[in-house]
Amino acid sequence: MSKPKLGIFSLTGCGGDQLQILNMEDQLLDLVSRFDIVDFQEGSSRKVDGDIDIAFVEGTVSTEHDLKKLKEIRARSNVLIALGNCAIEGCIQSMRNGETTLSERLKDVYGVEEGFFDAKLSKPITEYVDVEFSIPGCPVEKEETLRGITSLLHGDSPPYYSYPVCVECKLNEYPCVIVEEGKPCLGPLIRAGCNARCPSLGLDCIGCRGPVEGAENFAAEYQMLLDKGYTKQDIMNRLRVFCGELGDDFLGGGDDE
Amino acid sequence: MTESLYKVITKEELSQFGYALRETGTIYAPVKTSKESHSFKQVDTLTEADLEYHRTMIPPKKFFISPKETIFTFNKEKEEYNETPAVNEPLVLFGVHPCDINALNLLAKVYLESFTDKYYSERRENTTIIGISCTPDEYCFCKSTGTDYAREGFELFLHDIGDRYLVRVGSLKGYNLLQKHASLFREVTEEDLSLYRQAEKKRLASFTKSLEMSGLQDMLDMSYNSPIWEEYGEKCLCCGSCNLVCPRCRCYDVQDYIDLNLNTGQRERKWYSCMLKEHGLVAGGHNFRATSAERLRNRVNCKGSLKEDMTNCVGCGRCSAYCPAGIDYVEILQKIRGDIE
Repeated sequence: MSKPKLGIFSLTGCGGDQLQILNMEDQLLDLVSRFDIVDFQEGSSRKVDGDIDIAFVEGTVSTEHDLKKLKEIRARSNVLIALGNCAIEGCIQSMRNGETTLSERLKDVYGVEEGFFDAKLSKPITEYVDVEFSIPGCPVEKEETLRGITSLLHGDSPPYYSYPVCVECKLNEYPCVIVEEGKPCLGPLIRAGCNARCPSLGLDCIGCRGPVEGAENFAAEYQMLLDKGYTKQDIMNRLRVFCGELGDDFLGGGDDE
Repeated sequence: MTESLYKVITKEELSQFGYALRETGTIYAPVKTSKESHSFKQVDTLTEADLEYHRTMIPPKKFFISPKETIFTFNKEKEEYNETPAVNEPLVLFGVHPCDINALNLLAKVYLESFTDKYYSERRENTTIIGISCTPDEYCFCKSTGTDYAREGFELFLHDIGDRYLVRVGSLKGYNLLQKHASLFREVTEEDLSLYRQAEKKRLASFTKSLEMSGLQDMLDMSYNSPIWEEYGEKCLCCGSCNLVCPRCRCYDVQDYIDLNLNTGQRERKWYSCMLKEHGLVAGGHNFRATSAERLRNRVNCKGSLKEDMTNCVGCGRCSAYCPAGIDYVEILQKIRGDIE
């Protein structure tokens, strides 16, 4: 049986998710030997056209060029996986979506209102194409990515985290920074899988892995933080950092003063 | 004269007993780990422990059902699998409160009776439990649940009666421990008994939280459609903390993982929570408890139901003390009772 064809692509973003794959130093050779790598910008200059069995796409669609590239990848790929939070939820690049327009931003930063390259409002790839799976994180976790790729090789769906960071805090016995210190931790909303890395250091979760799928507790988190004395602006800014593109579903709690 | 099953040890001599217990096993005792939390941690001497603690965030069930563990590894080509040994070393859990001992007694029934969990079974066999009395804080309501006294499920129990402990024997293993270290213990005097009476009186009078249990299960049964579930469901963060800190919750999740070689792999299990959305999700996509209100109702009903003549809750107060949203379990049940508005 020939090796599955694997493509790892970047749109607009920091490239950190591809880098995490390269960072799997102990497994990298074993990993790449199991695939025919047709595209991996950060790992090789080799590029092969044609159909792809599994494509990973990181980054947001922030230019017309990104969109064209994404649609081409989708058309070539059997399974497309959104890699990292840019691709899934828009991440930092989308943090002001719904608050400021693209023209306003272009004016602020470049002094022109339009026509700067072919810039578009940054959106996750899930806004434009269907994806079969996603692997969250900013950047993605090496272990989770490896398990995801291994599952696909084995013919399974990649494992995913349906529960929030709080679970990992408890399993590791990390003291709760909300209960004990009143910190504005987003852990109750955010997908586990990081092994509660920030709370393990006494820091509050800032939400880099995006919300748990189907989470229904945004309003509860918002109200809890208001009750602790945080202002609407504090809370909204914090929620927007990684999840601005989620719009009203996510930020809906902020409608009431 | 028959030998009494009650003894006395002074607080000074307790540290010597702690030292001597190292022959019995590795000692774990409550240690202060942060502003509000204690944890059962390995200690060399009892001076590292805080025996006047109120509660550990994670209950001692962690020693019997590990929060996360690999149950076995497998190798497809060789058609073999290797179970992870349950026990690495004998343990001494020093300073376990009555609520937690009672919680372990119920867990033992669940994990040992119909289908024996070998991990639980072997670990319990290899563990020596030394209980200790405590003073309730604002979250404790174990007096209401009838779990402020441990009848069984420990080797020795220490009642703090001032500058000394009244020692109660709970098992043959405990009796043998007393025999082995007989020089550290002495017989009970009238004065000790008098001190025990006073200490109990003081302890019982210091509860500030209470919950009337009589008829509670009936009221819960008939409150299925109460607006209370929506009211608290809206506050609930669905984070699972209440279950994960509960000494009586016993749900776990099992997952298999295969390695990149597609040949070897492992089965892992970890604690799980009925407050998490996926808990009620079944094949075909239906979720029996899709909303936070439904999950909260399910949890409170589970905790409020009778099991082995006791409720599924031991009144330790953890779920309220460690709820980030500040939801008070007792307050919900007081509303169900109509005791408060």
